Amino acid sequence: MSDTIIAIRPSAFGAGLRRVPGVAWILGLLVVVFALASRDFLSAPNLLNIGLQSVILLMLALPMTLIIMTEGVDISMGAVLTLASVVLAWVLAHEYSLMFALAASLVTGLVFGIVNGMLVALLKMPPFVVTLGTMGIAQGLALLATDGQSIVVSNSTLEAVYAGSWAGIPQTLLIGAAAYAVTHWLLYQTRFGTYVFALGGNPDALKLAGIRANFYLIAVYAFGGLMAGLAALILTSRMSSGHPTAAIGMEFDAIAAVVVGGTSFEHGNGWLFGTLLGVLAVGALRNGLNLLTIPSSVQVSCIGLLVIVALLIDGFKGKR
Amino acid sequence: MNTSVPLLELRGISKQFPGVKALDDVSFAVYPGEVHMLVGENGAGKSSLMKVLCGAYRADEGEFFHCGEKVEIRSPADARKLGIAVIFQEFSLVPYLSIAQNIFLGREFSGRFPGTVDHARMHAEAKKLLDLLGLDVSTKTLVHELGVAQQQMVEIAKALSQQARILVMDEPTAALSDRETERLFTMIRQLQADGVAIVYISHRMAEVFSMGDRITVLRDGRKVASLLPGEATPDELVHLMVGRSVDRSYARTFCKTAGEMILEVKDLSSANGVKGINLTVRSGEIVGLSGLVGAGRSEVARAIFGADRVTAGEIRLHAAPHRGGPDKAVAAGIALIPESRKAEGLALIRSVCDNLMLPGLPLAFPNRLYKTSKARQIAGALIDRLRISTPSALRPVRLLSGGNQQKVVIGKWLGSGSRLFIIDEPTRGIDVGAKAEIFALIDQLVQQGAGVLMISSELSEIVQVCDRSYVMRDGRIAGHLSREQLSEESILKMGVHHE
Repeated sequence: MSDTIIAIRPSAFGAGLRRVPGVAWILGLLVVVFALASRDFLSAPNLLNIGLQSVILLMLALPMTLIIMTEGVDISMGAVLTLASVVLAWVLAHEYSLMFALAASLVTGLVFGIVNGMLVALLKMPPFVVTLGTMGIAQGLALLATDGQSIVVSNSTLEAVYAGSWAGIPQTLLIGAAAYAVTHWLLYQTRFGTYVFALGGNPDALKLAGIRANFYLIAVYAFGGLMAGLAALILTSRMSSGHPTAAIGMEFDAIAAVVVGGTSFEHGNGWLFGTLLGVLAVGALRNGLNLLTIPSSVQVSCIGLLVIVALLIDGFKGKR
Repeated sequence: MNTSVPLLELRGISKQFPGVKALDDVSFAVYPGEVHMLVGENGAGKSSLMKVLCGAYRADEGEFFHCGEKVEIRSPADARKLGIAVIFQEFSLVPYLSIAQNIFLGREFSGRFPGTVDHARMHAEAKKLLDLLGLDVSTKTLVHELGVAQQQMVEIAKALSQQARILVMDEPTAALSDRETERLFTMIRQLQADGVAIVYISHRMAEVFSMGDRITVLRDGRKVASLLPGEATPDELVHLMVGRSVDRSYARTFCKTAGEMILEVKDLSSANGVKGINLTVRSGEIVGLSGLVGAGRSEVARAIFGADRVTAGEIRLHAAPHRGGPDKAVAAGIALIPESRKAEGLALIRSVCDNLMLPGLPLAFPNRLYKTSKARQIAGALIDRLRISTPSALRPVRLLSGGNQQKVVIGKWLGSGSRLFIIDEPTRGIDVGAKAEIFALIDQLVQQGAGVLMISSELSEIVQVCDRSYVMRDGRIAGHLSREQLSEESILKMGVHHE
């Protein structure tokens, strides 16, 4: 318990620095490096661009944080997002209203989330394996429904979701902010959030307290599916189409953002604001590499590196 | 005790698990304002009975009566409705939630909106409970930042917050220092005066007799006796528990002339808070390292073993300077037998054989090729020698009782050629019968010329077993006691703070 403070003491400044989480260092470092490497990086339009591009990732990373806190993982998220986007585009292409299309997309996500949750909670199957299976199913369905082609939609209301702004602020950013606010509220202000900490930290404590732990575990995965369904609205709007491989693999970025943000796969140790910073770090990295015209295959390696560097920084700081 | 109707009564409870009858027709009653001690060897059925009481297990047979009325306990919720709260040895706390959130887990105060939590009220209520228990920590502190004793206090606060009328405690003092134990006892007496019934599981004879109003003895899933403290002596009680008489004095011939110097520690400080440690261990000696919980005993062990970074000072092994991590320590013949055997001492899912062979592999197989038949043979010999009761060398260690697990943890070093054994809390959670065997085993080690540094929170053990002892306080050695000076009083006098 006692006195690690002594080891830290060289200067008060040093002690302060140690309290800065690893993800903040990384984000700061990336901004400095890219600002030096590319003149455009810090320009207002580009920063806005990073924000806009990060919203979809954020909407996956937020529920992913909760899922990882329960010592689980959901690798089906990118595929479910893709399928929901295809569903949304298909419904719109058949001349239904946007509201109806959005509902269909949300239901798609929700169904996958609930199925994931039920298999994990009720049948005690390992989350990685369960979501590997549902990832395959979602991906296959998306390809089947589209025959491998894009479903192009020309719907002005849909386009307005991504392109529109409200009081001078792009709507997409507002949706992202709302998603963050709601998740933050859920995690820190509600019973549900308290039980998320307990599901990873000590599920037996929850059961002994008479709480239906399985219900909440399913709810966590269902929340993930719902957010993927909502993210499909932004994705489809941005591309004006539903494409069967649009967001395949995005769960990789989401898990990376969560881990970079300081959430641990053990003991229910999670930090939602860290995830926000992690998403921005991944977003800044992708954007910066794009500006430097580095191919996307190399970008994936860079994100992998980012995860390891983040863990190293937290390790050096003697995080216990 | 004064009322004739028990607060809770169990009649004819049986619980069957595949291959074992955990509880066999056990009847048990607890009255308001009574401390009912539940004793028995590990595996006697105490834990099972406790789990039945709190609704974690459902009894196969038997009836429950609450204040004379027949009731059912089928789930934790049923038990809670009857005012039963259980404090398990392995705490049911969530590490990354605050103290307040843990206390009210599952019973959060509703906030303004449905599903929300009223944090302000929760912290205020939690603060009241902590004040009552004399715990001076912010209710916002995350539980993983607390020490074991403080976590225990949080567990108790949790039970109190449930307005528990029947409080079940599983070895509550196992991890507490004497001062903390005293505080716990004061609180138990206070609860007792309020009419709370307490079911108290213990291995410590002293507290069984000083705190208990009634004692129930379990053995092999059956109730052997229910008696008042005046009706039996500690030795008779032990006899009832084990079904055979056990010499509780762990008689050993103390070392008259210690052999060559094995370990010499000079002015050792570590990154984990131990400061200026000087100590020696010679061949043939059991040297105690005592003091209150949190005085830094385990940290000294970790520093010597190289598990914590040494910041100053010197360690000499067989007169040669020693430095480096655990691998170097093992190579130099140091064996560390850690406090938490499940977390640090054993590969739980592996077999007895695999665990026993682990440290001795390089010695047994110098050409690096593992031979199953030879491993079996060596392990079999060790199992006989240590008297580990297991149906087979291939049984996973997690299925053994605590005492047998501990024998594996100590025994695995026998084949490694180690000369210095650092043993941290060798008898935690072990029943009386196995304790004597563990001490006999430690004695064997020193007879063969090894040196032992033994850490224990149980002062009586240090006094009975050690040839001499160091006493720690606040990360420093507070003093040294020779065999003649060694007594519980003298250790306590050195170990406590004198303000």
